[in-house]
Amino acid sequence: MKSAPRFLPIAILVGAVTIVVSAQTSKAPRTSWGAPDLQGIWNTNTFLPLERAAKFGTRPTMTEEEHAQELAGLQERNKRPGRDSRDVAGKPGVGTEKDVARAYNEFWFGDKPTKLSYSTSMVIDPADGRIPAFTPDAAQRIAAKKEFLAALLQGTSGGRPGSISPRRGDPSPDYNLDRINRADGPEDRGGPERCFGNGVPVVMGTGTFGGVMQLVQSTDSVSLYYDIGQGSGFAYVIPITKRPHLPKNIQLYRGDAIGHWEGDTFVADVTNFSDETDFHGARENLHLVMRFKRVDAHTLSVQFTVDDPTTWTKSWTAVQELERADEKTTLVLEPGCHEGNYGLMGMLINTRAAEKAFREGTGPNPATQDNATGGGDN
Amino acid sequence: MATRSIWRGVALAVAAIGLALAVSSIRTTGESSTRDARVADGHPNLNGIWQASNTANWDLLPHAVHPAVSQPGVYANHPVLAAPVVALGAVGLVPPGPGVVEGDEIPYTPDAAARKKENGERWLDRDPEVRCYMPGIPRAMYMPYPFQITQSANKIQMVFAYANASRTIFLEEAPLPPADKWMGHSVGHWEGNTLVVHVTNFNDRTWLSRAGDFHSDALDVVERLTPVTPDALRYEVTLTDPNVYTRPWKMSMVLYRQLEENATLMDFRCLEFVEETFLGHLRKNQLVKHWEGDTIVLDVTRRVPEGDKKYER
Repeated sequence: MKSAPRFLPIAILVGAVTIVVSAQTSKAPRTSWGAPDLQGIWNTNTFLPLERAAKFGTRPTMTEEEHAQELAGLQERNKRPGRDSRDVAGKPGVGTEKDVARAYNEFWFGDKPTKLSYSTSMVIDPADGRIPAFTPDAAQRIAAKKEFLAALLQGTSGGRPGSISPRRGDPSPDYNLDRINRADGPEDRGGPERCFGNGVPVVMGTGTFGGVMQLVQSTDSVSLYYDIGQGSGFAYVIPITKRPHLPKNIQLYRGDAIGHWEGDTFVADVTNFSDETDFHGARENLHLVMRFKRVDAHTLSVQFTVDDPTTWTKSWTAVQELERADEKTTLVLEPGCHEGNYGLMGMLINTRAAEKAFREGTGPNPATQDNATGGGDN
Repeated sequence: MATRSIWRGVALAVAAIGLALAVSSIRTTGESSTRDARVADGHPNLNGIWQASNTANWDLLPHAVHPAVSQPGVYANHPVLAAPVVALGAVGLVPPGPGVVEGDEIPYTPDAAARKKENGERWLDRDPEVRCYMPGIPRAMYMPYPFQITQSANKIQMVFAYANASRTIFLEEAPLPPADKWMGHSVGHWEGNTLVVHVTNFNDRTWLSRAGDFHSDALDVVERLTPVTPDALRYEVTLTDPNVYTRPWKMSMVLYRQLEENATLMDFRCLEFVEETFLGHLRKNQLVKHWEGDTIVLDVTRRVPEGDKKYER
C-alpha cells in the first residue's frame, strides 16, 4: 500500500437521510424514498445444499434431532484433511498427475461453514427438493459432451483404459466451458481458466470462498456486485424499466435483466442468455426470474426460478437466505482475474513445449497425460 | 500565453454561467429528462446511463484527425494509415478533438514525458485498453462507451459497459482495500450540487488515453461532478502524482445522460476476443497464418471493390 496524500475529509455525509435500524428490532428497513431496503454486503456461512438428500423426502425442514445429527456430520467433514492430502485410487495422492491437476491445496480454501440450515435444500419446488429431470434432448446433449470429455482422457492415468482417442482432434460438441484434457487453444480451457466470470443466478457458497455480494439500489436500478470465485467477480445492473427484452438473437453472457417491484419484492426477469453460459445444463434458452426480499434487518432472501423447456421437463425454484455482513470489516474486492491471467498463457506454452519435447523424443506424448481431472470433486 | 489566459478567463466565465444555470435549472424537473431532478434526500439525481461525447480516450490534448497506426507517407508531416488498420480506411482514423486538459498541457517530468512519447509510439503493445483490462479512473468515465449510475444515500455504484468494470463511491467510511486497485478506492461527499470524489489506492497499470498518457501508483484523483442540466454533468478531474507530473493538473468535460427509451447498459465483453491477439501464437493450429514466433505478421489482403476499378483506366 502506498502513502497517497489524503487531503479531503473522508466520509462526510451531508444532508443524507438514512433510516436507522436499531439493533433490537429485526424489522425490514426501508430506504429514504420508502422502498424496501435491500442494500448491504451479503454472504452466508450457513450450510444448505442446493438439492435435498433423498432421506428427507418431501420435507422442506428437518427436526431438531436430525439437525443435531447433520451438524455433527458437517463438523466431522470439516475435520477431514484437505485436497492436497487426499488419496487417489486408494493410494496417497501426493505427486500424482491428479494431485498436480488439483492445483490448489487446502490453504487456499480457508474457513469452512460452521452453521447448518434447518431447511433441507435450497430447491423448494418441485416438492422433492431436487432439480427436475432433463428432457430427452438435453440428456443426449449432456451425455455427448461427457463422452467427448471421456474420449480426451482415454488412456491417461485419470481416464478410462484404451489407446489415444481419434476424437482428440474433434471440436467440442458444445461451446466448451469445462476443464478438458486438451490445450490446443484458449477455447479448450474451462470458463474459469479463461476468466469468463461467474454467471447468473449466483448460488453463493459458505466459508472463505463463498463470496460476498454488495447491493446498492436507487429508484432507477438495483446494482449488484458479486465478489466471488477467485477474482471472477462481476457487476450486474438490474434496471427498473418498462422496456421490452432485447431481440431474441442478442445473446449476453449474463442475460438481459429487467427489474420491477411486486409489493415489497424486487423481481428481475432475465432472458437473452448465451451459449457460453451453463447453469446446471441450461444455456441460451434459460429464462430466469430472481426475487429479492428483505426478510428482516439481517436477512435478504434471494429466490430464483429457472425455466428452460429445452433442458428440463419442468421449471424449478430455489431460495437462498443471505446474511448481512459487517460493512466496516467485510472487504469487497475488484475482480482482476483477466488482468492477472498468466495461467491460461502458461497452459498453452506448457502444452506446446510438451509437444515439442515429444517430437524431439525427450518427453512423453502429452495426449497420454491427465491435465484435466482433479478439479472440483474428482 | 496572453491568449491562453484570455481563454482561461473565458472558460472561467463560462463555468460560472454554467454553475448559475446548474443551480437554477435543476431546481425544476428538466423538460428533456425522464427523471426527477433530485433524489429523495435532496441531492441531484445522477441515476441513469451516461456517456462522454468527446475524444478524450484517444487523446486528452488537442489533436487533428490522424491514423490510429501510421507509417511515413510522401510528406514527413503527413503519415498514412499502416497495418494493422490500413484496410479499415476512415474507420482506422483517430477522431479529432479540441482536448479536455486545462491549459492544453500535461505537466510531465522530463523522464515521464519521454515515456509518454514512447507509450504513444508503442500504443498497441502497451495500452491496457487493447488487452481488455479494467480502464481505471478517470479513463473509465470518458471512454466512448456508456456507464450506469445507481445512486443511494451512502453508496453510489457505477458500472461501466467496457470490460464490466465497476466502482463503488463510498459516502460513508469504508475499509481501505488491502492492495492497490485497477479502479482505485473512491470516497465521496456532496458539496451543494457537486459530488466530490477522492480516489486513491491505484495501481500503476492503467492509462489515461490511447496517446500513452500514464500515471504511477502514487496517483491521487479528485473528481467533481456537477449537473449543468438534469441530463448533463460537468466532470472535472484534478490529477496529482509527484512521480510523473510536476504539478497537479486538471481536465474538464461534460457527461451526457442517455435519453433513449431503450437505453440499456450492455456488457462490452472483450476478454475472449483479445485471446486471439495475445494468445493466438500459442495455438496448436494457428488461425492467423502469418505468425512468426510470437509476432503477428500482418499481410493485409483486401481486394479493391469491383465498382472502384472502372475509374482505374
